[in-house]
Amino acid sequence: MATKIDVLPGMAFREKGAWIGLITLVVVYGLYFALMPPSPVAGDHMATLPHLGWFAIATILRGMMCVGAMLVITWRTPSADRLKPDERDRTIDRRAARVAYFTLFWGMIIVGIVMPFSHQGWEIINAALLAMVIAEAVRHVIIIHSYRRGWHG
Amino acid sequence: MAETPIANQIRTLRFLAGEMTQAELGEKIGLTRQTIAAIEQGKYAPSLEAAFRIAHVFGKSLEEVFQWVEGSPRNDA
Repeated sequence: MATKIDVLPGMAFREKGAWIGLITLVVVYGLYFALMPPSPVAGDHMATLPHLGWFAIATILRGMMCVGAMLVITWRTPSADRLKPDERDRTIDRRAARVAYFTLFWGMIIVGIVMPFSHQGWEIINAALLAMVIAEAVRHVIIIHSYRRGWHG
Repeated sequence: MAETPIANQIRTLRFLAGEMTQAELGEKIGLTRQTIAAIEQGKYAPSLEAAFRIAHVFGKSLEEVFQWVEGSPRNDA
C-alpha cells in the first residue's frame, strides 16, 4: 500500500480545516455580497426577498466545498495527525469563538440598534448576514493565527 | 512568533529515550504530534496536567523537564 504524503506536514490538521473554512467563506460569500443589490427595489421592499435564496444556495455550496476539501485533506493526512482535538486545539477553539462572539455582538448592535434609524429591511437583512460572515471569518483567522504564531494564554 | 516563558528539555529527553518520536510521546499523554512539536518550539505552554504527564513518561520531575525563563517579557511585569 502506498505511503501517504502529507502535502502540508508542518500544519496542524485543524489549521488546515480553518484555512479551508476561511478560503471558501471569502470566495463564496464574497461573490454573494458582490452580486447582490445593496438596496431594495424602489417601491417594493419584498421584491428582493427571493435574493435571500441565493444566500441559502451560497451556504449550501460552501458546505459542499468544505466537505469535499476536508475529505481530501483527511485522506492526505496521516491518521496519527488527525486525532481528536487535544487541549491545545480546544484552547485555540475557545479563544477564536470568544473573539468571534464579540465581533458578532457588535455587528448585531449596529444592525439591530443603529441601522433601523437610517436603513430599510433589505439592507438590514444583508448587514446581519454580513455580520455573521465577518464573525465566522474572524473565528477562522484567530484559529490560523494561533496555530501559526503560537498560543499559550 | 509569540514564545512561552517556559523552556523545556523534551527534545533531549526524547533522544535519550531511544529517539522516541513526537507522535509516540503524544500518544502516551493524549496530545497530537503537532502539539508536542509546538511545546518543543516554545509555541505552546502545556497545561499543568499535560506537563506532569510528560515528566512522568520520562520518569523525571517537573523541574527537570520544564524551566521558568527569567527575564522574558512576560515575567518582568
